[in-house]
Amino acid sequence: MRIVAVDPDACVACRDCEYACAFRQSGDFARSASHIRVNFYADERACVPLTCMHCEDAWCLAVCPAAAIDRDPGTGAVTIDATRCAGCKMCLLACPYGNIHFNAETGVSAKCDLCGGDPMCVRACISGALRYVDAEELADLRREVVDASLKRLLRLSKGVR
Amino acid sequence: MQTGPEIRHSLCRMCDDRCGIDVHLEDGRIVDILGNKDHPWNRGRLCAKARAAVDMIYHPDRVLTPLKRTADGWEQIPLDQALDEIAGRLADVRDRYGARSIGVWKGEAIGFGQQETVARRFAHALGSPNYLSNDSMCYVGRYMGFTLVDGAWPIPDLENARCIVLWGANPPYAHPNMTQYITAARRKGATLVVVDPRMSAIARRADIHAQVRPGTDGALAWGLVRQFVEMDAYDKAFVEDHTIGFAKVVDYARTFTPEMVEAETGLPAATVKAMARMMADAAPRMAAYVGNGLEHHENGVGNIRAIAMIDGLLGALDHEGGTLFKEPAPLRDLTLYDEMPLRHLSPLGTDRFPVLYDMRQECHTMTAMEAILSDEPYPLRALVMTGANPASTNPNSPKVIEALRSLDLLVVRDLFMTETTAVADYVLPAASFLERTELHAHAKHQIVSLTDKVVSWPDVQGEYDFWHDLAVRLGIGEYFPWEDETALNRWLLEPTGLSLETLEAHREGVEYSPPRVGRRRQAGFDTPSGKVEFASAYLKDLGYDELPVYHRPAYRREPDAARPFVLMTGARKLLYLHSRFRNIPRFRTAIPGPEVEMHPDDAAALGVADGDTVRVTSPIGAVDLPVKVVAENEILPGNLQVTHGWREANVNLVTHDDRFDPVSGFPLMKSIEVSVQKV
Repeated sequence: MRIVAVDPDACVACRDCEYACAFRQSGDFARSASHIRVNFYADERACVPLTCMHCEDAWCLAVCPAAAIDRDPGTGAVTIDATRCAGCKMCLLACPYGNIHFNAETGVSAKCDLCGGDPMCVRACISGALRYVDAEELADLRREVVDASLKRLLRLSKGVR
Repeated sequence: MQTGPEIRHSLCRMCDDRCGIDVHLEDGRIVDILGNKDHPWNRGRLCAKARAAVDMIYHPDRVLTPLKRTADGWEQIPLDQALDEIAGRLADVRDRYGARSIGVWKGEAIGFGQQETVARRFAHALGSPNYLSNDSMCYVGRYMGFTLVDGAWPIPDLENARCIVLWGANPPYAHPNMTQYITAARRKGATLVVVDPRMSAIARRADIHAQVRPGTDGALAWGLVRQFVEMDAYDKAFVEDHTIGFAKVVDYARTFTPEMVEAETGLPAATVKAMARMMADAAPRMAAYVGNGLEHHENGVGNIRAIAMIDGLLGALDHEGGTLFKEPAPLRDLTLYDEMPLRHLSPLGTDRFPVLYDMRQECHTMTAMEAILSDEPYPLRALVMTGANPASTNPNSPKVIEALRSLDLLVVRDLFMTETTAVADYVLPAASFLERTELHAHAKHQIVSLTDKVVSWPDVQGEYDFWHDLAVRLGIGEYFPWEDETALNRWLLEPTGLSLETLEAHREGVEYSPPRVGRRRQAGFDTPSGKVEFASAYLKDLGYDELPVYHRPAYRREPDAARPFVLMTGARKLLYLHSRFRNIPRFRTAIPGPEVEMHPDDAAALGVADGDTVRVTSPIGAVDLPVKVVAENEILPGNLQVTHGWREANVNLVTHDDRFDPVSGFPLMKSIEVSVQKV
């Protein structure tokens, strides 16, 4: 299956992804409506985008007493059926990454559904930090980031030719 | 028969990046806009502004009928009547004061392209040299700085660079999809240096964030030059073969020691050395890009020229991974500068800023305001502008408004009512970028594309139709012989050998010639000497510095104790472009209003916190703004930043229309001495 891979080393916390997701969920740009969240820490200059990883062994899915959480057969996305959700918030507790949000207005949990296979956050990611890729590719992408960091470190430590 | 939703392809013009878009329609109405995955620039990705074009186009406040000012307010009139009356009043002004008393003005609010050249053609056909635009405050300063040195403004080959240096540029907000290219290079191990007094979005990813004091970039550039010479790290063959003035450069650079640079810029000497090592190590694959942050200073062009020299010194010019010289699209030129030169009619500002006219055939908008108010050197009595809002975006807004109000005729074409339409005599509806078709060349990829006219309104004219109809009424219709914009596009495109039909089938663009690296090294650079000009005889002849000598900003040279803060204005926010888009409700949700960015130490000293109001005062005026206390490393103590374009707190109440860069004529808007009081 494909998931949204996040690369904090490329993210600039521009918030385009949050706006794109919030718009899809609510028609507005309130960050609170977005399923992807980007935290920015100025002191460390750290940008941390986080969104659902659609775990193979999804604890949210396992824990849901209303059986409202299921896997989309087409995309493989872990999705919430809002009509079944009882609003118990067990899934929020179960998710180790805080990627499920509770919508107080509707009284149900909400999370990324990969937009049916064309995630809007990725379409809006102008840095390229978000990529919609096969899970098998993730290791390659991770190695690419590590390799680049090492190359930069070597270059910085090398001094003048 | 079942039909799916219709998808049309075009280019986004919510900023000037021209990303490829797929426009989704249902029953002829635009319902969605997504990135075109086939477009080589954005590759399917779009920032949050693009889809909001739907909101803009169908906004309830769109101006869709011509308006005429009357004693009782705005009166809706038929388009033909509006054009007849405007032509009649322009003819009166022409008869009374001469054609040069009429100016045309291009803004950015509809996305410009041919709009610019059609307006330039109209002015000259009418006999007026006075073409004005937002370019006398953006872009041209950099174009000049680089062209004076390199003969063109080369394009950084970001994705192939081993070191990228951004000077006063924040691509994520100003050129969003440029960020992709920076990421691509970083993923191959490239280093990134960001020179900016603020920690911009892109500075969050920098290996070195060179946080220099506003307007001191030139000192850093000279410091780097000195380091390259000291380190013996410059490209001797390139310098020998392709440059002039190197000996003078070495001599002048001598005093710019890392310690002197630290004293002037605030950047630690060790960082100056590290930055020089990083750039020299990557050379010639060192790609630099200069943003608007460098332009709005009294030493802007000099600083930009100093930065431009580095590309030559490191042999990065015309080299893969450095900066590339692109061939312009061989489109026909609509302007009449060769056929009908009008420089003898003294285009406004040419006497003070001759390079502005030499290089860009631009008049100086600040001088134009003086001319309107004083009738000196001659009267400027009528202006016709499209998509421009100088009452908000030019410095010293009250004076701009006073000047525009005193015109005999002000015609503004725009999508919405603005601060500038508020003093207009006629407001005409302008066509947005999805309501007209025009040609665009993407120099980076050397492709030409044709935008699609996706929707239309009865009384809304495209640029060509408007200037054509006005020209016919003024007896200069012979200069506008094309039946419509499509006929014009066909004529413009002819020299490329491509057909409109080909471009219609490939809205993502068609290559007009394959990019070639090394052409300038072979054929010479497009400067007077054919060399990269570290020293410019052209500038020397005009009485300017031959070398890009560093001039300290006034606030460093003669600090004003009564105005201890240094105000930068105009840093881009992601969702707004100059004075545009404040009327898109969801943008307001995300970025609700104006603010003055302030260091925590300054906020503590002033006794203010987030949301408190302060009054920012310069010699020009004052503006009240809510405070935004940023993190300690996001701005330097003593510096402030306010983004322009807010009607409720217009920072151009305090920007200078009386202090300029001597070469470009750009106004002082980014190192302004101000005082700050808690209100």
